[in-house]
Amino acid sequence: MTPHSPLPTPQSPRVALITGITGQDGAYLAELLLEKGYIVHGIRRRASLFNTDRIDHLYQDPHLAGTRLFLHYGDMTDSSSLIRIIKQVQPDEIYNLAAQSHVAVSFEEPEYTANSDALGALRILEAVRLLGFEKKTRFYQASTSELYGLVQETPQKETTPFYPRSPYAVAKLYAYWITINYREAYGIYACNGILFNHESPVRGETFVTRKITRALARIKLGLQDCLYLGNMNSLRDWGHAKDYVEMQWLMLQQEKPEDFVIATGVQYSVRDFVNAAARELGMQIRWEGQGVDEKGYWINSSLRGGAARHCEEQRDEAIQSLPSLRGGAADAAIQSNPIVAVDPRYFRPTEVETLLGDATKAREKLGWTPKITFDELVAEMVREDLKSAERDELIKRHGYKSMDYHE
Amino acid sequence: MSETVVPRRALICGVSGQDGAYLAQLLLTKGYQVWGTSRDAQMNAFAGLQSLGIRDQIKALSMSPVDFRSVLQVISEIRPHEIYNLAGQSSVGFSFGQPLETMESIAFGTLNLLEAIRFVDSSIRFYNAGSSECFGDTGGAPADEQTPFRPRSPYAVAKAAATWQVAVYRESYGLFACTGILFNHESPLRPERFVTKKIVAAACRIAKGSDEKLSLGNIDIRRDWGWAPEYVDAMWRMLNHETPEDFVIATGITQSLQDFIATVFSEAGLDWRAHVVSDPGLRRPSDPPESKANPDKAKNLLAWGSTCSGADVAKRMYAAECGQSVIGLNKGEANV
Repeated sequence: MTPHSPLPTPQSPRVALITGITGQDGAYLAELLLEKGYIVHGIRRRASLFNTDRIDHLYQDPHLAGTRLFLHYGDMTDSSSLIRIIKQVQPDEIYNLAAQSHVAVSFEEPEYTANSDALGALRILEAVRLLGFEKKTRFYQASTSELYGLVQETPQKETTPFYPRSPYAVAKLYAYWITINYREAYGIYACNGILFNHESPVRGETFVTRKITRALARIKLGLQDCLYLGNMNSLRDWGHAKDYVEMQWLMLQQEKPEDFVIATGVQYSVRDFVNAAARELGMQIRWEGQGVDEKGYWINSSLRGGAARHCEEQRDEAIQSLPSLRGGAADAAIQSNPIVAVDPRYFRPTEVETLLGDATKAREKLGWTPKITFDELVAEMVREDLKSAERDELIKRHGYKSMDYHE
Repeated sequence: MSETVVPRRALICGVSGQDGAYLAQLLLTKGYQVWGTSRDAQMNAFAGLQSLGIRDQIKALSMSPVDFRSVLQVISEIRPHEIYNLAGQSSVGFSFGQPLETMESIAFGTLNLLEAIRFVDSSIRFYNAGSSECFGDTGGAPADEQTPFRPRSPYAVAKAAATWQVAVYRESYGLFACTGILFNHESPLRPERFVTKKIVAAACRIAKGSDEKLSLGNIDIRRDWGWAPEYVDAMWRMLNHETPEDFVIATGITQSLQDFIATVFSEAGLDWRAHVVSDPGLRRPSDPPESKANPDKAKNLLAWGSTCSGADVAKRMYAAECGQSVIGLNKGEANV
């Protein structure tokens, strides 16, 4: 087998193509690669709404961006668009981060999920092969801990057998194996990063972590009443996306392509995440009930701020004149309504109960360890969502309409 | 109204292939009404059904498994009790040249059938044709239902995805859906792009005087070759088992392709070494050197076992090719 092309000299900037650049990982990775001096191309889908919020700051910062960030319209379900872009860009590295990435949605849209997530990866690999870039272009495939599904051993590492439990996971399983197949069959430098859950302040709002931090911030400011969740006992290994994209890049800088598990090795339940986010906001939650009847009550709800605080201040004034009612009854009114409850609609037909990664290989071979702790991750997410909630609350208080969408 | 026994209805997707033909024959003998689909039933000669003499007894329909509308229409119309999904691009070698079509026809076809069953009637039982190719190289260890997949061709990756889709739908929605992980199974109905048939056909022509050379890729590969008519019986048993489960279907005996060649040529009274040439161009980009199976679960739970070794398969295929025997389900049965 002929060796892969050597790393280019500093004179010629490396060129990277990121599919899914408008997503959480795409944004962090683009930022990282721009910092490293890359020319970065990204593929975005045409949509009737703006969908580049997460990378707009990279455009605006002239020091970072200049003319080194380019966006192209394309779609993982459209072979010719991918071939055209890859031919034009001639990338040294392709990061395939594009996907229908929501597990629950995959049960509703299984075919689309397979088309974009499974065939999407194949279309990129085929384009590389078709254009004769097998020795030039390195390929990173965003694989997922969901492959382990009904876990066959704990913790999960590179050698753990897969047991996918959703159309999303099955589609990603195809992409995982076709990546290995193209590495073995055609000598493409192609590898999988099996990433466990990784979050950030720009995580999609429908993913459970972001849903929690957003909702609690809004509840605190009186913009929302209750956070509805699915299986609160689910155990996950949550890291920070910023740490994980560094590993994506590292994987493409090695002598030979290999697959790696990326994880923190620490596990928390969804309920733990709620408690951590609440703690960050100074909110104390008392849990009552079991299963679908489990509810979280806000004990120190007198902290309720913003619009609610406004009302409460007035109420408190009223209460002042009725000393016997002070505290007790009024707080009880708020406390009688839970701020966290279970909605079985969010249960999945097949649940993945527990995921815990063992990233020993990444540590030993690439020297990678996550730098951002769980508490720091939650704190950052809460901080950012509280800012947005404060902005919304301010807008609302001044009589303007703010976006109020939540699930 | 008097109670009459309603015959069971079976739908075979991909009835024009080898397994489809034998399965149709088996189900007819069991009293089923059998519908069979092909992407374009008007244009398909159904040569397999013809040669088994059952073309007239099978109701042929056009259905493209990748087109959800056509799948839904056929299932709504027939309301089968059992669906056998044998459709899909079936050649490993071909899958390197048409990986996308391979994935679409295999995995999207399976997905559409599962979705249509959910939509029309979730009591319909569903058999999905898996493949031993999913195991890849097990390093000489016999593969069973617990062996992790390590697929090594676009065909095998697509079959692995389809197998997991079936498992997800079984576990998520309680469908009676299962995958038969069949090891290589051959018969005279194999088309010539399959290596076994290619060898048999060439040996037969050479025995009749042709001076051709038989070009083959890697003949050191080792496989578990069984007799297809026996394997379709395993499919039926899987759908009539109490619970939906996946099964490995194989003989349990592995031999090399060279052994297979030697048997065929010796049936022809020839020394294979004089007629076979190696063509590196026919080697696949990646190919597991050996496949080995442990079919104990099928034996224990389905009371199914193979009575035909790889050598028997080679002999029967050769005999059929040279017009010396019949090709139906039962060895002694007359047909055509």
